[in-house]
Amino acid sequence: MRHCSRWPDEDSTLADVTLPSLGESVTEGIITRWMKSVGDIIERDEPLFEISTDKVDSELPSPAAGVLLKILANEGDTVGVGAVVAVIGELDGASTESPAPVADAPVAAPSPSASSAPSLPSNAVTSSEKGLVVSPIVRRILDGGGVDARAVQGTGPGGSITRRDAESAVANGPTDDLPIALTPGMRRMAQHMVDSVRTSPHGFVAVEVDASVFIKLDAVGRTTSDGTPINDEALVGLAAVRALAEFDFFNATVAGDDLIIHRTINLGFVRSLQPAGMLVPVVHAAGGLTLRALAHRLNDLSDRVESRQLTTDDLLGGTFSLLAAPTPSTLVAMPLLIQPNVAALSVGAVRHAPVVVVRDGVEVVEPGRRLVLGLSFDHRVADPVSAAKYLERVGELLAAIDVNAER
Amino acid sequence: MASESKQFDVVVIGGGPGGYAAALYAAAAGLSVALVERDKVGGTCLHRGCIPAKEFLETAHVLRTIEHAGAFGFTTSAPTVDFSVSQNRKNEVVDQLHKGLSGLLKGRKIEVLEGTGRLDANNTVSVFDGADAGATLVGRNVILAAGSVPRTLPGFEVDGSVILTSDEFLALSALPASAAVIGGGAIGCEFASMLSDMGSKVTIVEGLPSILAGCDTEVASVVQRSFKKRGIDIVTNAKVTGHTPSKSGTTLHLDGVDDVEVEMVIVSVGRRPRTEGLLGEATGVELDERGFVVADEYMRTAAPNVFAVGDVVAGTPQLAHVGFAEAIVAIKTILGEVTVPVNYDRVPWAIYTNPEVAFCGLTEAAAKERGYNVVVKKDPFAGNGRARIIGDTEGVVKIIAEKNADGTAGQLLGVHMAGPWVTEQLGAGYFAVNWEATASEAAALIQPHPSLSETFGETLLALAGRGLHVG
Repeated sequence: MRHCSRWPDEDSTLADVTLPSLGESVTEGIITRWMKSVGDIIERDEPLFEISTDKVDSELPSPAAGVLLKILANEGDTVGVGAVVAVIGELDGASTESPAPVADAPVAAPSPSASSAPSLPSNAVTSSEKGLVVSPIVRRILDGGGVDARAVQGTGPGGSITRRDAESAVANGPTDDLPIALTPGMRRMAQHMVDSVRTSPHGFVAVEVDASVFIKLDAVGRTTSDGTPINDEALVGLAAVRALAEFDFFNATVAGDDLIIHRTINLGFVRSLQPAGMLVPVVHAAGGLTLRALAHRLNDLSDRVESRQLTTDDLLGGTFSLLAAPTPSTLVAMPLLIQPNVAALSVGAVRHAPVVVVRDGVEVVEPGRRLVLGLSFDHRVADPVSAAKYLERVGELLAAIDVNAER
Repeated sequence: MASESKQFDVVVIGGGPGGYAAALYAAAAGLSVALVERDKVGGTCLHRGCIPAKEFLETAHVLRTIEHAGAFGFTTSAPTVDFSVSQNRKNEVVDQLHKGLSGLLKGRKIEVLEGTGRLDANNTVSVFDGADAGATLVGRNVILAAGSVPRTLPGFEVDGSVILTSDEFLALSALPASAAVIGGGAIGCEFASMLSDMGSKVTIVEGLPSILAGCDTEVASVVQRSFKKRGIDIVTNAKVTGHTPSKSGTTLHLDGVDDVEVEMVIVSVGRRPRTEGLLGEATGVELDERGFVVADEYMRTAAPNVFAVGDVVAGTPQLAHVGFAEAIVAIKTILGEVTVPVNYDRVPWAIYTNPEVAFCGLTEAAAKERGYNVVVKKDPFAGNGRARIIGDTEGVVKIIAEKNADGTAGQLLGVHMAGPWVTEQLGAGYFAVNWEATASEAAALIQPHPSLSETFGETLLALAGRGLHVG
């Protein structure tokens, strides 16, 4: 809770809190956690409760400021979209006639987050976003005392750090360890990764493959014939999907004593969020897509990640994932499995490299392109041999893509 | 106008400073914006407030300059004034600014609709009365910036010739020989000052014990002394009981005090929000008992995605620049950017009387009321070289600082000025108070010489322990 503002009656809103739509395929959800108790003061857009639907966990913001008067659904209850789950009343607790239930009001979009994927940035001001706009004097006091501004709880308007805050922070000594609360995105990533490591014994294999297809791609231009950019992810993703046809046990889920092989390939693409966190938007039914179609779908997803237009459905149902090279010089990164998938492909940076080729029966060194592919796999159901064979097959199919014809 | 609703990221009701600032700032961020204005963009400030009033006051300043020309060796005859020329000049200034603003809105591709906007349920805005009557707009966000209108007094029917509010006063082409100004706040005192300088016999009638009640008492008393010296009658603790119109004007009746016969009565008793008709059914927006829109520090009303800025907001100062600042807070909140709300305790205030008043932060009385131990220093403009040169030495700078445990002056709490061009001088004080400087930190910085701002610097030096001139 931010400090109270100066207007005595600012918190006199009264509102029913309803479960908003969480995506097309979702009609109900389980309330997993209430962040507030009855009687707590809450600000508008402050996280109020957590909902779990299928594979999605979302934190839902309060639609109004006031006091949480009633909780109508307990933790563990299943509630339908549109159901009233709580009532928020005026700050003094005097519940008056409701001026306008906000059931259908355009509340801030819930931050969708598949268990595969942590939160979208909400477009609301949250209490954690305290204004780090500090005056030159406050900055000097903090610098002089060796205090990191992020460690100071501001009491000024909007949580800004006043001179008094700075002086008392400095009086407590320089910042040594700096505790910073995890953002919701970081918390979800943390939870998911811990669960993933607990669930799956991870194996990892990396192979180096020929990447001369990128020379061909550069020659024809890195766009589809209708102008959509083709990136490394699209090209390798296409080969990965094609190779899965022969290695379908990598497009699967462990369920008790069974390995469930999925007919449909839903390919997740890992996207990092700043300052920390990740999203894995999914290209559904990626099997059978042409290079052009995959490039279109991937481009559309990237645009919507950028413009915060992803829906929960975009984050659901991934069966296999691809992690692109985090930086242009990454050899290969080892991904953790996105649960409940059993394999995750990691694509290293395409490197310019000398390659040995045979010309007229003689081995010669020529400039070429090389690429390291890695596969994280669930060692309960796969082994390094099958992983390496799959990667080699991805390499072959990558080299075999006729970029000129398929773009 | 087509009857289907058009969608916008932001729909603004009201094109005054709060509304047009919101529209411009939102458009600069790439949002689609519609603005509904019932009259002319620019609002009260540009057409019936700040700008016209300052043009009138500048007319009085020019007259004073001519009257003092003899001191510099100029021989002039007693000046006469054709006030209609000044009124026309005011209109030209306003027109130029209005054209500039209209062009700016157009350049940012803001759709400006003519008519009165009303917020209905589901963020729908309906337009009435005006060229675009019948239009409906839907805003992902709506900003209420409907502004305010002058309050009137029962029994004082505004007729535009004898009984006027600021609206009618600022349209005058000739000035009265005598006038009573009811209400000794900033607006009333500006009118009284201007009329008196222009030769009218002025009486200020104020219900409180002093004029300029919101100002630090010492600053207010500088103005009060100056007014009395120039022959302005000031009746404080007054209770107006009514008036009796006559052929040449009216007679104002005051409880327990002699009647005042005047040509004109100017009622300046504050401004009320223009919220009648602003809200339709079930908008969820909350008004306070006086009709102002209730909003939080991020300008959010009780209804989701509905914001309010400017004079219409409950409990905030009715100042154009506060409206600008609130508009920026609202748009940044809409954009999800980190936003520092307006610190209403520390906004700049400027009153363009002769002498001018400008201040920021707590008055001495308010600081003590909040439990501060204070150190106070003052420096009059009489000792300032530049003030001597321009022949305008009336006034004082007063600075209030928190008292440290050892008795020295600490953080600056308030800077209060009365005197020549103090509205232009306040900037340094504004920064010092808002950046939470201490007396010694601010005193270490230099003011140019010779300048009026040296009085501010000198006061800081004194506050920091040792002044060059002030003890």
